[in-house]
Amino acid sequence: MPKNDTSHIRNFSIVAHIDHGKSTISDRVLELTHTVEERDLDSQMLDTMDIERERGITIKSNAVRIMYDADDGETYQFNLIDTPGHVDFTYEVSRSLAACEGAVLVVDATQGVEAQTVSNAMLAMNAGLDIVPAINKIDLPSAEPEAVRAEIEEALAIPAEDAVCVSGKTGAGIHELLESIVFLISPPSGDADAPLKALILDSYFDAYRGVVATVRVFDGSIRAGDTLHMMQAGIDFLVDGVGVRRPLETPVEQLSVGEVGYVVTGLKDSAAVHVGDTLTGAGRRTAEPLPGYREAKPMVFTGLFPIDNKEYESLRDALEKLRVNDPSLTWAPETSVALGFGFRVGFLGLLHMEVVKERLEREFDLDLIGTSPSVDYHVFTTAGELLDIKSPQDLPAPEKIDRIEEPYLKATVIVPPEYMGAVIQLIIEHRGIQDNMVYLSDNSVEITFHIPLAELILDFFDQLKSRTKGYASLDYEFCDYRVSDLVKLDVLLAGELVDALSFIVHREKAYALARGLCDKLKEIIPRQQFEVPIQGAIGNKIISRSTVRAVRKDVLAKCYGGDISRKRKLLEKQKEGKKRMKQIGSVEVPQEAFLAVLKVDDG
Amino acid sequence: MSAHALYLHVPFCKSKCPYCDFVSFATRRDDPLMEAYINSLAFQIGEAAEAGLLEAPATAYIGGGTPSYAGESIVGLASRTASLGSLSELTLEANPESLTFDLSMMLRESGVSRLSIGVQSLDDAELSALGRAHDAKTARQALNRAVELGFDVSADLMCAIPLQTSSSWLDTLEGVLATGVSHVSVYPLMIEEGTAFARAVEAGEQVAPDDGDEALRMEEAEAVLSSYGFARYEVASYAKEGHNCLHNRAYWTGISYLGLGTGAASMFGREDFPALACAFPQLGMPPADAARIRLSCTTDRTYLAAHPALSEQSFEVEYLSLRESLAEDLMLGTRMSCGISPTLVSRARDVMGAQLDDCLSGLIADGYLVESLAPTRRGWLLGNELYGRLWELSSG
Repeated sequence: MPKNDTSHIRNFSIVAHIDHGKSTISDRVLELTHTVEERDLDSQMLDTMDIERERGITIKSNAVRIMYDADDGETYQFNLIDTPGHVDFTYEVSRSLAACEGAVLVVDATQGVEAQTVSNAMLAMNAGLDIVPAINKIDLPSAEPEAVRAEIEEALAIPAEDAVCVSGKTGAGIHELLESIVFLISPPSGDADAPLKALILDSYFDAYRGVVATVRVFDGSIRAGDTLHMMQAGIDFLVDGVGVRRPLETPVEQLSVGEVGYVVTGLKDSAAVHVGDTLTGAGRRTAEPLPGYREAKPMVFTGLFPIDNKEYESLRDALEKLRVNDPSLTWAPETSVALGFGFRVGFLGLLHMEVVKERLEREFDLDLIGTSPSVDYHVFTTAGELLDIKSPQDLPAPEKIDRIEEPYLKATVIVPPEYMGAVIQLIIEHRGIQDNMVYLSDNSVEITFHIPLAELILDFFDQLKSRTKGYASLDYEFCDYRVSDLVKLDVLLAGELVDALSFIVHREKAYALARGLCDKLKEIIPRQQFEVPIQGAIGNKIISRSTVRAVRKDVLAKCYGGDISRKRKLLEKQKEGKKRMKQIGSVEVPQEAFLAVLKVDDG
Repeated sequence: MSAHALYLHVPFCKSKCPYCDFVSFATRRDDPLMEAYINSLAFQIGEAAEAGLLEAPATAYIGGGTPSYAGESIVGLASRTASLGSLSELTLEANPESLTFDLSMMLRESGVSRLSIGVQSLDDAELSALGRAHDAKTARQALNRAVELGFDVSADLMCAIPLQTSSSWLDTLEGVLATGVSHVSVYPLMIEEGTAFARAVEAGEQVAPDDGDEALRMEEAEAVLSSYGFARYEVASYAKEGHNCLHNRAYWTGISYLGLGTGAASMFGREDFPALACAFPQLGMPPADAARIRLSCTTDRTYLAAHPALSEQSFEVEYLSLRESLAEDLMLGTRMSCGISPTLVSRARDVMGAQLDDCLSGLIADGYLVESLAPTRRGWLLGNELYGRLWELSSG
């Protein structure tokens, strides 16, 4: 290929609502193009993390080069850029899409258009991408490709007469899909002779090679030995090597204009490499960085404390290790009277939080207590200061607070019309304000609304799923900060305030929540050798109460001969169980008590 | 040394009670397996004696299951046991319905000195809710007869059972006391995994016993029994002076015992390891730091009936270090009203040092033990906490 000829390159993503089959289609594409042989295809090749595979979601971006021999006799270079599939990672998705000229929009032939189908399609259209609709799962008896085709046209205003019908499971239609990619997606344009301009899509840390960045070249080219400059970070580095993933990393001589591949930076600090940053030549710089860069901003905060305080240092080390490949992770030390030393950790969203906590426990063998998630409140004091409060413990005394602002989201729910009432009720219960309601088709309504982030992270999503029998889908983005009448709800166990159980709540909901929480804690906290009163309080005022009764008698079994071994085994099991609990004052509290507020039935 | 106590397990019952998780099997009265099995046990007594494991046992206990259900063949086993010559107590477990006058007579003649009778309750409705095969009248008769024949008699009772009230419980207690028994044991109903009761509780058809009720029943039992001159010498055992069960005491004081039969447990100290190796070559070498062994026989009853040789039995084997043995004895000591003996404390202190004293003073401070290291009422009711803290001493 002449150096300026990009006519045989196709850069694209596959986007879909969760579970519509994005990963299986990717697998079939890799297989049909012999990028990966069937026997090597560990199901869902592109998702490499254990947790990604278990949960069937993509957390990190990835780019694979595929060589496709098309029906026209030519060989095309496809760069398939896999994008995170969850609302927590919308920014990462937008950067991945910025690296593409096209997107394959996968819609489940049995489910039709859902919330993330819409949001992903919007992102792709806003990024100016050529869209190839693909209707998946046509092998299923309940598939209704024609209805879905109509829905795509109606709801998304995307011409769907060319939509390819495929089955990721059987491989049917995948060849047609590859041909459509050749013909419907534009080749990249760019100037091979201009100064380098490349976008960082993702990065990971390699102990030997330092940070390895995935990049898309818009102008110019990159070779080993080049000195490059990162325009946002303001850092120069020497390129140790370049290559492409097929899907194993394969070094190449250069990454040319329009291509996607990886750059070995040799940098030891992964935090220096930001997704969305622009690479250019250190000597010969491009005039303007690529648009759309922003810092990853944590939205949800939680306290993470090791049950055994001796593990504090191990927790810090583990967080640092995770941050190497997840620069969006932020934390600051936090001290709790009840839980000792730990960290207040910031996450992009609830899923991100769950995944990180799970990885810390599983990969680093830590026993952790997570406290109820909080958001970043803006607290204006009577002294005229603005405080960023990410932990209920840090909230100043009520008399020192002038007002509190909390983050609001703009959220979208798509749901069949029969569940509309239930969804609106749920939105109102969670202090949401309805914005707009549009029929996307006869079978789906789109409700847009504003809702405090703090409400959404309680139990909104679970409630939404259960009240709509799983039919509703949800998408959201940060909107603005608004003043709210918020108070701190404290919990006292056996008369002692347990700071780690405090949380910030709207005044009107405080009473019901305090009641629900006391009842929930009563269920969770096992009966002890003495009575344990549980109280909910705002300031000095007790607003709810429940009691864990004392154990009057515990197991008394016969204890002759063989019973003795059995008894001892039971005692050992009892001891193991206690290890998983936190001693607070004289009360033994199980881990899940600290997340009880998420499980209160009627917030 | 050899075993101080001998236990013989007879795992046959008329029917399986819905709360029972012991090794016992509903068996037809005329099933030849019972006699063959019992003969095998008699054979094993001889083999164990020859190997030096039964030089002079002080007590023996024929338990089950329902040994009395086996009728005459159990009399033979009792005679064989009594012929060891050294016994000061030979107990047989019996159920009221199978303890006939004739059988009682024969047992008395065979050398059985003590009967432990599974009365459970003297309320017909409660008995039938427990799935028992006898009624109150049969139970009273069996107790009266046993007392008249000169046995030391224990009535075994259950509390916190379905339908039981304070007043029916008092009636049961007073009813058994009226028969002249010298020993009573009281256990609250436990819902054991795998039993019919556990399935009923799971299915919501039955309510699990409430620990408040259980505590109350146990307190009521103590009040009534002590007013009749019964001392609570162990958490679940009450006796008139001189009528404590010597055999059971062995289990709580770290004394060696040999158990024969399916599901029976044995315990021996280091000094008996050579004799054990002779009787049970299948056990192999004990680990160097083992101070105690506990065996639980896992041989199937049918196999045992056909292959009585000790060397053919299979076991679950557990070795305990010195420290573990001491922790176990400390734990078991607190089941008894006399508490942990000074001798045991000083032996344990040699191994555990200050950790022992910290633990004991903590238990005293928290109201589980008194200064003399005897359990308080609280310690008895909340045994799991008490035993758990003592057993924690097993790891340094």
